[in-house]
Amino acid sequence: MNKLYLWGIIVTAAMLGATYATVGYQKGGLNGDIINKLAIAGAVALVIITVFVVIKYVRQMQTDTADGELAEESWDNIGEYKNPLPFGWAVIFLGTMVWGMWYWVIGYPVDAYSQIGEYNEDVAAHDAKFNAQYASIKGPRLVEMGESVFLTECVVCHGLSADGIDGQAANLNERISFKSVKYAIDHGLTGKLIGTEAAMPDRSGLMNANNNYAPITDKEIDEVSKYVADGFKDKNSAGAKVFAGTCTMCHGANGEGVAGMAPQIDGWNSQLIVNVLDYGKVGAIGRMPVMDRLNSKQKEAAAAYVMSLSEGK
Amino acid sequence: MENRPLEYDYTVAKMFMLTTIIFGIVGMSIGVILAFELAFPGINTILGSGLAEYTNFSRLRPLHTDSVIFGFTISGVFATWYYVGQRVLKVSMAESSLLMFLGKLQFWIYILTVAAAVVSLFLGETTSKEYAEFEWPVDIAIVVVWVLWGVNMFGLIGLRREKSLYISVWYYIATFLGIAMLYLFNNMEVPTWLATSAAGETHIGDWFHSVSMYAGTNDALVQWWYGHNAVAFGFTVPIVAMVYYFLPKESGQAIYSYKLSLLSFWGLMFVYLWAGGHHLLFSTVPDWVQTMGSIFSIVLILPSWGSAINMLLTMKGEWQQVAASPLIKFMILGSTFYMFSTLEGPIQAIKSVNAIAHFTDWIVGHVHDGVLGWVGFMIMAGLYHMAPRVFKREIYSKSLMASQFWIQTLGVVLYFTSMWIAGITQGMMWRAHDQFGNLAYSFIDTVTVLHPYYAIRGVGGLLYLIGFVMFTYNIYKTMTAGKRLDSEPASASPMGA
Amino acid sequence: MFHWLEKNPFFFAVGVFAAIAFAGLVEIVPNFAEASRPVIGTAPYSTLELAGRQVYIKNSCNACHSQLIRPFKSETDRYGHYSLSGEYAYDRPFLWGSKRTGPDLHRVGNYRTTDWHENHMKDPAAIVPGSIMPKYTWMYTKMVDIDTAFAEQLTDAQFFAVPYNKPVPMKELDVDGKPKTKIVKMGKSIAEANAMALVEAKDIVKNMKDQDIKDAVNKRGEIPEIVALIAYLNSLK
Ligand code: HEC
Ligand code: HEC
Ligand code: HEC
Ligand code: HEM
Ligand code: HEM
Ligand SMILES: [Ca+2]
Ligand SMILES: [Ca+2]
Ligand SMILES: [Cu+2]
Repeated sequence: MNKLYLWGIIVTAAMLGATYATVGYQKGGLNGDIINKLAIAGAVALVIITVFVVIKYVRQMQTDTADGELAEESWDNIGEYKNPLPFGWAVIFLGTMVWGMWYWVIGYPVDAYSQIGEYNEDVAAHDAKFNAQYASIKGPRLVEMGESVFLTECVVCHGLSADGIDGQAANLNERISFKSVKYAIDHGLTGKLIGTEAAMPDRSGLMNANNNYAPITDKEIDEVSKYVADGFKDKNSAGAKVFAGTCTMCHGANGEGVAGMAPQIDGWNSQLIVNVLDYGKVGAIGRMPVMDRLNSKQKEAAAAYVMSLSEGK
Repeated sequence: MENRPLEYDYTVAKMFMLTTIIFGIVGMSIGVILAFELAFPGINTILGSGLAEYTNFSRLRPLHTDSVIFGFTISGVFATWYYVGQRVLKVSMAESSLLMFLGKLQFWIYILTVAAAVVSLFLGETTSKEYAEFEWPVDIAIVVVWVLWGVNMFGLIGLRREKSLYISVWYYIATFLGIAMLYLFNNMEVPTWLATSAAGETHIGDWFHSVSMYAGTNDALVQWWYGHNAVAFGFTVPIVAMVYYFLPKESGQAIYSYKLSLLSFWGLMFVYLWAGGHHLLFSTVPDWVQTMGSIFSIVLILPSWGSAINMLLTMKGEWQQVAASPLIKFMILGSTFYMFSTLEGPIQAIKSVNAIAHFTDWIVGHVHDGVLGWVGFMIMAGLYHMAPRVFKREIYSKSLMASQFWIQTLGVVLYFTSMWIAGITQGMMWRAHDQFGNLAYSFIDTVTVLHPYYAIRGVGGLLYLIGFVMFTYNIYKTMTAGKRLDSEPASASPMGA
Repeated sequence: MFHWLEKNPFFFAVGVFAAIAFAGLVEIVPNFAEASRPVIGTAPYSTLELAGRQVYIKNSCNACHSQLIRPFKSETDRYGHYSLSGEYAYDRPFLWGSKRTGPDLHRVGNYRTTDWHENHMKDPAAIVPGSIMPKYTWMYTKMVDIDTAFAEQLTDAQFFAVPYNKPVPMKELDVDGKPKTKIVKMGKSIAEANAMALVEAKDIVKNMKDQDIKDAVNKRGEIPEIVALIAYLNSLK
């Protein structure tokens, strides 16, 4: 065999090997995705066609000789043969033109295809599969799914370890920080943590029942914030007393939340997190955006994952 | 007709040869910096964080594209035109002092234009449209340069002694007309100073600022009608003009087939413009425009390959020349890369493939196997062929040229293979869903995997740049120290060891 | 015929021109009227947003970021609803980009926030480890050019009938089920334009942390580039 063909095969094999390695990398390889397959097929065709067509002409340089009838003209001594068109080239050119016209007029006439229509079908198929396969998963699988959501959607703000990247977003390994509790009391909150418009009053609206319903003081705010942020541990602290006098009526005796009144603050619950994803949140740290690209299962899963980080606390 | 050989006047050609080389070095050096900035982002602040505004990737990128296109390539087109034009039309620039004057004028206005363009891009004055970044004052200067070139071209054609136009001249004419039409329409913009009177002012903000005549999807359509065809009439048509002259001339062979030249030329003219829609696949332009772009891209393979095949067949039976001359190697491999990128492009224009390829480095790879392997190789080959005839000296070193050839070939191969892998990898990762039906990768995952490929591309680009510096040195030594020639070589360019 | 053309440069040029000019008409003309109609919910850019857009262009963010969400499941999952032609009605120039070295930004206003951008633009890799986006530190100290943005608004209104100071329909419905409207105001003079931009800027810096930036806007009445850029990014929805 001619050395050239050998080279051709080596080059082709190298390129295809590289392409193969590329595909091997992927989670799930070609993923059963027709687009992936066609792209790879295109890449393969590109290498093979170019290499072997060029070899064909190089062989002609090596073995053939130039001949034909020369035209009478010459420009700066450049002559020109009156050779006919290379047959294969001419046929393929004609062929592609005919094919193009066919495609245009008969095959897929102007309005026969709609990319949005194709998209809608694709989404419907995907959703059907999603509902069939994932709608009912729970437990550790749900947490795993949540981790996958978290890693693509949330890490940019909350960080890989969910610690909030130096205070730039909430640290999700704990329920709530001192700073955030204090902020809630100082400024009140008007979000939708429990899914309704129910608002947390600001400090001017928070009265201490232990203390003749006087407005909450700076000292009391610090105490109760510490108590809440520490996870309601020290039941004998000053903060616990303030909590009982000021907060219990809305948040429950131990911060477990009261339906329709105020959210749980002694730990996470799934609905609370889903509400955050549905409505966003503005607080001490900043603004958490609405994550409306996620479907309800994905939100539930993300919630399960967040809860798993602090084991529900 | 005269009996004694004409004395051609290469003054203007020499001027543009110089700028080809200078802008080549500048543009490619910036390219290498860009490549390494993506691999090692610390390089964004290479001159300190105080100057980072001017050295970071995003500010430099248009400088790279515009200096290699409007600097390196267009200079190469002018330089070769002022050489080839005279010879195939059999008329000397020296015969018309008016054309001579206009040629020099064109050069100096060109220099001023490029200077203004470089400064304005460094300052961030850009309209954001790819390959049409300049604000209107620079546009006007470019139009002036272009008109001067046209006057010169048709002036020379008017004076010609060769009745019938050589193939290269067809392509130069098409370059002139194509770019003129495209550039004008894509740069329709309203300077803001025209509207400031409404606020009772004569002058508000930057005087050179403008607003595009077209909005949104329409703007995109016009831009990519331009962008696609700027590739056609900047990176393809004039380069084909070069190969049709320099390859037969250097090898002493006659063109393989007139019919093939003819059909390839008119086929290219007719088909190219229809394919622009392939830059807008899956965008908000109507589906039929996209389909049209895809179809014509496939058809476009044939007229593109026609010229390349014509060149390869011109060398039929001449393998010993290919083997012996690095100059011919540049042109043969260049034609091969031309075939490669004009098959790769249509494949990427198939909608299903474009769904992966668009927005990724596979496109950047496609760009560079074209521009490095085809445009760069052909322009350097043209200048190498011109040098002994223009400076009347032997090319300084053949072995240097041969090493340059292999170094740059390796550079191109590293460039496009790494980008090919990077692009397909990234495109597939963007699409991937995991076992739960969620996106499998966050965006940053698809960035960090590319690091090795970005590094390899940087090395490939650096090799190419090194080769270009070797080319520069070889030309410089040819001018100053090459062995003097008594008579002009008929074909193969004489080279020192 | 071709031999004849090759001997007659004028007609040769005419032939070439005819061959290349035709396709452009077919490609471009039919779409023109259709694509320039804004979809409901699309409003012109405010002065500060437009100034931010100019900062975006000046720094060629479009070299790395697209603003075109293609109709693929994987893209709508990542970026939100696919892009619609009419959403670009006020985009002069369009900023679709052709390379995604970074993610698409067409709807980034939906899922990133002012303070996130504030941190990210200063040092992307600190927020997103492994990021290769450059740091845009100078935007925190350079002041934005409101005058040029205002000149652009004047041009938009005068030459392209962009509806400044006029009601445009929004997606939300009012009690009668009709779309609510929004009026994007444009200044009548440079002074007014600057004052309006400053009001917008104050709104942005409320959510920012950097004290120098807050002081620049609130105390000195100056607007750093980053503030305008964030106003623009927040407007991308
Ligand atoms: C009138 C009822 C009411 C009282 C009294 C009240 N809260 Fe709240 N609290 C709410 C509501 C409602 C929310 C949810 C606000 C929202 O959706 O943005 C809330 C939210 C919170 C949050 C924010 C939880 C999060 O995830 O960010 C904290 C912390 C909090 N309360 C602590 C307290 C403390 C401590 C006290 C007592 C000093 C207190 N609350 C008193 C109603 C109340
Ligand atoms: C653009 C940044 C950003 C993104 C993306 C983001 N978050 Fe947040 N998130 C924040 C910020 C900032 C806060 C803190 C708000 C505050 O309390 O000041 C927060 C708070 C939270 C909270 C705490 C709410 C509370 O009651 O205290 C939860 C839970 C949360 N995020 C979950 C998520 C999940 C799950 C995702 C991904 C699906 C996510 N976040 C994506 C910025 C973000
Ligand atoms: C060298 C390429 C590059 C340039 C230039 C660049 N970016 Fe980025 N950008 C990235 C990459 C890569 C990411 C993804 C990693 C990250 O978030 O930092 C990104 C992310 C972003 C994001 C976050 C989007 C999201 O969905 O998380 C925003 C917003 C952004 N860039 C804005 C800009 C702006 C504004 C400019 C111009 C002033 C700019 N970028 C210039 C590469 C770039
Ligand atoms: C048959 C010929 C060709 C066809 C059909 C073709 C097709 C394409 C396609 C489909 C794209 C990608 C668009 C996208 O998805 O972003 C593209 C991009 C590009 N091609 Fe080609 N190509 C051809 C030849 C060439 C040649 C020979 C060169 C250069 C020498 C070239 C230079 C470019 C450039 C510079 C871009 C990038 C445009 C951008 O900035 O996005 N092409 N081409
Ligand atoms: C030393 C060699 C070169 C190197 C290392 C280099 C590197 C680069 C890099 C890094 C980019 C940006 C890609 C991105 O955004 O991801 C780029 C873009 C580009 N370069 Fe080069 N380049 C080189 C030579 C050239 C030459 C000689 C030309 C033209 C004659 C050229 C034309 C272009 C074009 C048209 C683009 C834009 C591509 C697009 O938008 O898709 N480059 N180059
Ligand atoms: Ca312009
Ligand atoms: Ca591009
Ligand atoms: Cu194209």
